[in-house]
Amino acid sequence: MVDEKKPNKHDVIETEIPMGTVHPAALEPYRVRLFVEDEIVKEAEITVGVNHRGIERIMEGLPVEKANSLTEKICGICSNAHIWNSVLVAEKGLGIEIPERANYIRIIMEELERLHSHFLYLAHGSEVLGHETFSMRAFYIRETAMELLRMIGGNRVQYGASIIGGVRPRCELNEMKLQKIAEGMDEIEKGITKFADRFVMDPIVMSRIEGIGVIPQKQAIKLEVTGPTLRATGVAQDLREKMKEYEPFDFNVITQDDGDVKSNILMRVLEIPESIKIIRQAIKNIPSGPVVDRSWEIFDCDTIKSYIEVPRGTLYHSYAIEDGRVRGTVIRTPSMSNIGAMQYACIGDHITDAQLCIVQCDPCFTCTDRAIKIINL
Amino acid sequence: MSNITILQGTCVVISTLVLSFIIGTILPGFERKFVQARIQQRIGPPVTSPGIMAPLKFLFKKNLNPNSPAPSLYKSLPFICFLLVGLIFLSLTPQMYFFEALASIIAIIGFLKVEEVAYVLMGSLSKSVMSLGLPFPDLAKGAAHPDSERSYLEDISSKRAFRMIAFGSFPLYLALFIPVAISQSIYLADIVKYQQVNGPLIFTLAGIIGAIVFFIGYMILLNEYPFNILKAKADVIEGPYMEYSSKYRAVLYLTKGFLMFTLGVLFSVLFIGVPPNILSWGILVNIAIAFIFPVLMGILSAFSPVFTYRQFYPVVLVTSLLGVLAIVVGLI
Repeated sequence: MVDEKKPNKHDVIETEIPMGTVHPAALEPYRVRLFVEDEIVKEAEITVGVNHRGIERIMEGLPVEKANSLTEKICGICSNAHIWNSVLVAEKGLGIEIPERANYIRIIMEELERLHSHFLYLAHGSEVLGHETFSMRAFYIRETAMELLRMIGGNRVQYGASIIGGVRPRCELNEMKLQKIAEGMDEIEKGITKFADRFVMDPIVMSRIEGIGVIPQKQAIKLEVTGPTLRATGVAQDLREKMKEYEPFDFNVITQDDGDVKSNILMRVLEIPESIKIIRQAIKNIPSGPVVDRSWEIFDCDTIKSYIEVPRGTLYHSYAIEDGRVRGTVIRTPSMSNIGAMQYACIGDHITDAQLCIVQCDPCFTCTDRAIKIINL
Repeated sequence: MSNITILQGTCVVISTLVLSFIIGTILPGFERKFVQARIQQRIGPPVTSPGIMAPLKFLFKKNLNPNSPAPSLYKSLPFICFLLVGLIFLSLTPQMYFFEALASIIAIIGFLKVEEVAYVLMGSLSKSVMSLGLPFPDLAKGAAHPDSERSYLEDISSKRAFRMIAFGSFPLYLALFIPVAISQSIYLADIVKYQQVNGPLIFTLAGIIGAIVFFIGYMILLNEYPFNILKAKADVIEGPYMEYSSKYRAVLYLTKGFLMFTLGVLFSVLFIGVPPNILSWGILVNIAIAFIFPVLMGILSAFSPVFTYRQFYPVVLVTSLLGVLAIVVGLI
């Protein structure tokens, strides 16, 4: 497929603007080279690897439970998603069925995490737009989700909720906690409604984000984009629909059509009420019973794969178990799949919009860096 | 004029200048603390922080030699800017009106233009580490266009500053010519005298339109949100100022506050007819205007994203047309 937007390799592009690895518009260290002509980006190149810690290598040979705990340190935003997926790998391999109540608590944690991740996205996006007020407001609303996570897990960032066989007993939800979560959902719903109304009614903000960083649907599929960034191009693909953990819950898969910054922002804005809906269902229908089943036994098994839908897209974890220890871990974060889209989105836009085009794909390069396995060096 | 009168006049001018400078140091903090931070429901920095404490801190910092092809010229530019603002302020004081070449709209526009040119020079002379290349060919994996010439972030800023000279400053200069059109004189003394006889221009149709145009021009000249493409955080970070440290940065911060006050005074001279004079109660009007403008600017900044050229051009075009309209109305 010939891509008209992309310049020919032989075209001479006069100027290269390197940004990063440290740049105030970026939350994390990464390098983007922008090839520009008269402040219009002709091609972009993103390089990651600055924060590589080799977590996959560190996990090699660790006891399964210890390795699971380590995965939580991969990311500060979707920490729960990593430990949950890592635990799911072990549970699949060992054939463990967790108590239903534990699954509900895991879903509540994950959706709360999605809420705080999406609010962080809105806050960071607004900051890159140069709109500090929207950024601050998004952070204020996010605070409720963060506090609820602290109430359940004991921490705002690393909750350590999922363990093999269920969730940690300290994450058990009593009536008072469930009531607080319900109140929190009302507060967040009110907050996001006001935020969304003001955001879409602001003509200046709309003029900054409409038609910027467009990723066409065909291109998104070709680049193997995942998560809300893919759904913003009109592809109704959400792994939660296929996950058995989400079977008891009713929710809509949100899509947008344009694939630009506006669509991406609206995607997150509209996914927030869906997460609230899931959490409300979980609170209402949470079954009684134990939160952890410790009657499992460990045995050797071949590489087991697990895919889950996290706030940024599809997260992949796989490892084998040998003598109770982890072997051959591979972790692939959604941002890894979305880098191509980030590069593509910058092309044809003004250089001031370049960071916005990258941010619209909700990158988490640090989490990508920490986990990627570099082969064929 | 006797020697004593000249001495007295000089003392008055210096006192007015010092007072204005001191008040000017509070303005950036006032805008951030009491306007932007309030709107954003946060505590904000101490009111003295951006205008007084930060420059004081930088004065005592060790200087790092800027990475620049002409470091001496680069380092001298903040001082030149500060002097220019001082000269603009001096030209506004009534004691200087006898010196007609200085106390005229043409001189003020000239000083402002040099100030703008200084930003172009700052940008082109700054080569910060933010986009520094390696001392050998960068053969990093995947380099799509290895033959491209590497540009510094400040180069973009410099080009943007040049564009600002070309079109961005239109509104302010058009606004400056509205009182000229009405009073039929380029001299500040005549403009003030006209308003003392006929009342402040701000109460006329041309004056009202002119005030709006002046305010937009004021924000563009100060490179404040949303008109801060010259130093947009999303790409060029601090733009032309990136390599300044220690006392040079301190002077930059002081210049900003002083420029905010001076432009407020310029407005009160041109549209209200009250020149700055420490011996007159009129200075309260100058101070009030100098505080009102940052309040309005803070409100607008807090509710706007950064403008790229897509938004910038139409705003400048519409504001410039308004300016022309005000001049035409003034002439009629």
